[in-house]
Amino acid sequence: MTTKSTSVIKVEHLTVSYHAKPALLDVTIDIDSDQLIGVIGPNGAGKSTFIKAILGFIKPDIGTVLINGKSAQKAKGEVAYVPQRGAVDWDFPITVQEVALMGRYQQIPWYTSPKRKDRQAALEALEMVRMEDFVDRQIGELSGGQQQRVFMARALAQGSDILLLDEPFAGVDAATERAILEVLERAKQSGKTLVVVHHDLSTAAEYFDKLILIKQRLYAYGTPRMVLREDLLSKVYEGRLRIFSDLIKEESQ
Amino acid sequence: MYELFIAPLTETYFQKALIGGSIVAIVAGVVGCLVVLRRMAFLGDALSHAMIAGVAGGYLVMKMLFDLEAHAPGMLLGSLIAAITTVALISFVARISRVKEDTAIGIMYTGIFALGVVAVSIFRHYIHIDLMHFIMGDILGVADTDLWVSAFVAAGVLTVLILFFRHFQIATFDPVMAASIGLPVLFIDYVLTTCVSLVVVSAVSMVGVILVVGLLITPAATAYLLSDRLDRMMALAALFGVTSVIGGLYLCVWLDSAGGGAIMLFCTLQFLVVLTVAPKYGLLARWLRLRNLIPQQIIEDILTTVLRYDKPTPLSVIRQYVESPKGLKKPLQRMIEDGLLQETAGGYGLTPAGDKEANKVLKAHRLWEAYLETIGTPKEELHPTAHQLEHISDTNTVKYLGEKLGKPQNDQRDQEKQ
Ligand SMILES: Nc1ncnc2c1ncn2[C@@H]1O[C@H](COP(=O)(O)OP(=O)(O)O)[C@@H](O)[C@H]1O
Ligand SMILES: [Mg+2]
Repeated sequence: MTTKSTSVIKVEHLTVSYHAKPALLDVTIDIDSDQLIGVIGPNGAGKSTFIKAILGFIKPDIGTVLINGKSAQKAKGEVAYVPQRGAVDWDFPITVQEVALMGRYQQIPWYTSPKRKDRQAALEALEMVRMEDFVDRQIGELSGGQQQRVFMARALAQGSDILLLDEPFAGVDAATERAILEVLERAKQSGKTLVVVHHDLSTAAEYFDKLILIKQRLYAYGTPRMVLREDLLSKVYEGRLRIFSDLIKEESQ
Repeated sequence: MYELFIAPLTETYFQKALIGGSIVAIVAGVVGCLVVLRRMAFLGDALSHAMIAGVAGGYLVMKMLFDLEAHAPGMLLGSLIAAITTVALISFVARISRVKEDTAIGIMYTGIFALGVVAVSIFRHYIHIDLMHFIMGDILGVADTDLWVSAFVAAGVLTVLILFFRHFQIATFDPVMAASIGLPVLFIDYVLTTCVSLVVVSAVSMVGVILVVGLLITPAATAYLLSDRLDRMMALAALFGVTSVIGGLYLCVWLDSAGGGAIMLFCTLQFLVVLTVAPKYGLLARWLRLRNLIPQQIIEDILTTVLRYDKPTPLSVIRQYVESPKGLKKPLQRMIEDGLLQETAGGYGLTPAGDKEANKVLKAHRLWEAYLETIGTPKEELHPTAHQLEHISDTNTVKYLGEKLGKPQNDQRDQEKQ
């Protein structure tokens, strides 16, 4: 299991639709362990849907998702996730500590309350992302980057080997982006596989080992050099290509 | 005093109303928190209306099969079945058609409510249900069976909610994560809906169809304004529910008004009071915050003025350079409290922290000036425009400008681009 390049997420012919409108069509992909993988594609391309399908939250119409060889519905808790900013109710009455503690809920039997060691684990996860000074804050009172880090702490507290992050860099400043990236790098070094939805093509090549380009269908999967090609991007991003053509030139230099 | 407060307590009807109302209010408040957070208020309303069909159905069945008149458990079961059928129909319609959920709720509950009304009027010779009673409730005439029913319902629902608190919390806050750690999210939704139905059914006999949704959400919303944790919100909501019942019942005795109406009136007033005075999320607090808010621009202008003056700056100098429609006293006071300024004999001076801040703004000012110059802004507009733009000084912007320009050194001096 620990040897390099074993497949941890295996997606085959994944097709998901909302109200007869397909969001993902026949996506087949095999993700190896110990990698930092970026998922790119325009708005509404189905990136979040892809993440939710891997988590087993959405049942595919057709196709299968295997996590470590088990079906996504059965592989509970082996995948942790950081939601997209817009998907969280920031007015929810919940504190930073409680969010981090949620990462431990799976380990706590339903008939007991969280124990000391659970609180300890939650606190350690918060320390890892340097949010231990904010434990009693309501989550809406944090800055965008701090909110991102709290949810990352929750994912780390889960102790899963696979982490899915939906646009963790959206709406944070450059310094925070660096800090988050550092946490991701460290997680990768400790043997985790990370799949990260990313919206900024200009940094995609620098941040990730491999990229997945989707827009309903899978357009490319491979190293940034293979994926960030003008012909592919023009197909996927249509009219907005001019912005990226500089970027591609830069890449090829 | 005795007449006002103690005398009603000696009356049996008042005692029963107090006990029954409190039981219902506690459980309604606790469940209501989840209803509020999940934005299900409309569904609660729907459930209460749909019940009438179930009550009529339960009445009819018991009468026809067992010849029992107004059999309470039968009607209760009927209401529950009606409520759950309504929910099932709603989610079915919303899922398979393009009709959105709120519309589906509206269609289904009015439809089933209408079915109930028609049934009650057609079978009026068999069913002796007072529609008005059903719609308005009658807390002062609470029967013993009603009391028992609501006690059992409350005990059951509270047990489930307390035992599975974490499950409800996570399924409400982040259903995707809940699913990913193996919680049956859909089943949890059904359990919650059943709990809401049970509470609604047991509350309708007291406050009536129209007001029951208020009892469900108003105390919860009141608590929402006061708490940052779900468990505390639930405890407070229960408390506010009980105070509403107590306050409302006294109101109803004193004013000789309808019981359900008085309770909801008190409950709403209570909400409005909390909305006004809540320490963090209240209107008063918000108003005070806004009033005390000092525009960042004024603070930064003061900082750069003092920095440029380069020695303790008298108030008159600051007044000359900084435009502040509401005066300078409060901003200066605040900056001293925040450790940016210190007051000395000759005027105001910068603390180390203030000095750092001021230099940051000044740097942004110079960068903007240089940038404006490179894009061809007329000389005489350079300084005022940069003065406006210097307040955009976040790290990203400064980095961007710096990269565009190289490193500028002085105010007003030409920048050579390499
Ligand atoms: N819950 C939903 N119900 C209906 N349509 C949805 C839902 N979630 C997403 N969609 C649709 O599916 C498509 C893909 O959405 P999403 O996966 O969120 O895209 P992305 O994350 O790449 O922006 C979009 O067209 C979106 O409108
Ligand atoms: Mg998305």
